Amino acid sequence: MTAETDFRAVFSHLGAIANYARRRGSADADALAAEVMTIAWRRLDDVSKDDPRPWLYATARNLLLEEHRKRGRLRHVPEREAASPAPELDELDPQLNRALLALRPLDREALLLVAWEDLTPTQAARALGINAAAFRVRLLRARRRLQALLADGGGPTLSVPQLDVEGS
Amino acid sequence: MNTDSTLLRLREANPFPDGHEAVADDELFERITALRRAPQSRRRGLRRPLVAVAVGLIAVAVLASTAFAISQWLGGDVVKPDVTRAEYREAQRELALPPGATWPVLHVAPSTVTSRGGGGGFAVAIAQNRWECYWVRTIREGDRAAGVRAQAQLESLLHGNVIVAPAGASENWSPPADSSHPQAVYARDGGYEWVRDTYALAAAGHPQRLAQRCVANSPG
Repeated sequence: MTAETDFRAVFSHLGAIANYARRRGSADADALAAEVMTIAWRRLDDVSKDDPRPWLYATARNLLLEEHRKRGRLRHVPEREAASPAPELDELDPQLNRALLALRPLDREALLLVAWEDLTPTQAARALGINAAAFRVRLLRARRRLQALLADGGGPTLSVPQLDVEGS
Repeated sequence: MNTDSTLLRLREANPFPDGHEAVADDELFERITALRRAPQSRRRGLRRPLVAVAVGLIAVAVLASTAFAISQWLGGDVVKPDVTRAEYREAQRELALPPGATWPVLHVAPSTVTSRGGGGGFAVAIAQNRWECYWVRTIREGDRAAGVRAQAQLESLLHGNVIVAPAGASENWSPPADSSHPQAVYARDGGYEWVRDTYALAAAGHPQRLAQRCVANSPG
């Protein structure tokens, strides 16, 4: 099987990666997805043939963080915590918007990788670079917290959606 | 509203629900595949001897802990080699290694005992070293995306799989027995902060200390 054949399977996720970037507020989601695919081609040996999605989402997330840093949307650069792009919230109802923004960034990302990107917990854990057990704890916590926030009206009002970093 | 209905509401709010459709962009595909691919890792041929040395070092580390372990045999939270090996295997299911890295076999001498959680701690230390070396390599190769990924993995390890012993804890303090995931224990002597600062320096474009850690903790 040629590299091009292997890459064709990876490349089939281009649309999903572009939409992921779009949901996270990328200024040019299509270009970002193309860059992810270019990196995937260059490092094809590193990409799982059986399940390339976690690798693709992890790479897209890294590029998104870089894009947000360049745009100055990070409040501060993390040193010990991984950052998570905030979702593109314009399309959401205000209550859900506020509730999502009130979550801890990595909890929010865990939730959205499962709910919006349709990754399994195991895939999402790999995309975030954390172990599966830790991810399941994070996901459960995020779901409960979101539920409580929605029951409470959506949490505090935040004026501007922005890229957060996990608090220490 | 239970958590399932919460998740359902979130799914329904997906601003781009058709995200998984296939996209036929043959021109982009052709452009990308016309590019040169990265060469395969030069370290691949060295893997077997490195693994052998790693195994040796780990065995020495286990043996070095034997004196204390035996002294704690009756009262301390120590386990026999089969438990340590099981912890090590279990940890491998939870911890990721960078591309090209493999888990060395953990040899534990039959007559030894190790603190509970030691197998997981070894696994964390190995994963940390492999990701550090991978990060150094990505910096040298100018592969920024892979470097960011390595950094994220290391931050995750530090945050989720490294625990600093409480103030005043004994040298052989181990995490609570109900810890559900592998953890390496750092003494409260500033080492954790030093490692964290090393990663921050590397991320800021100063990877010298990171490279030193890679060499110092690598087998051979």
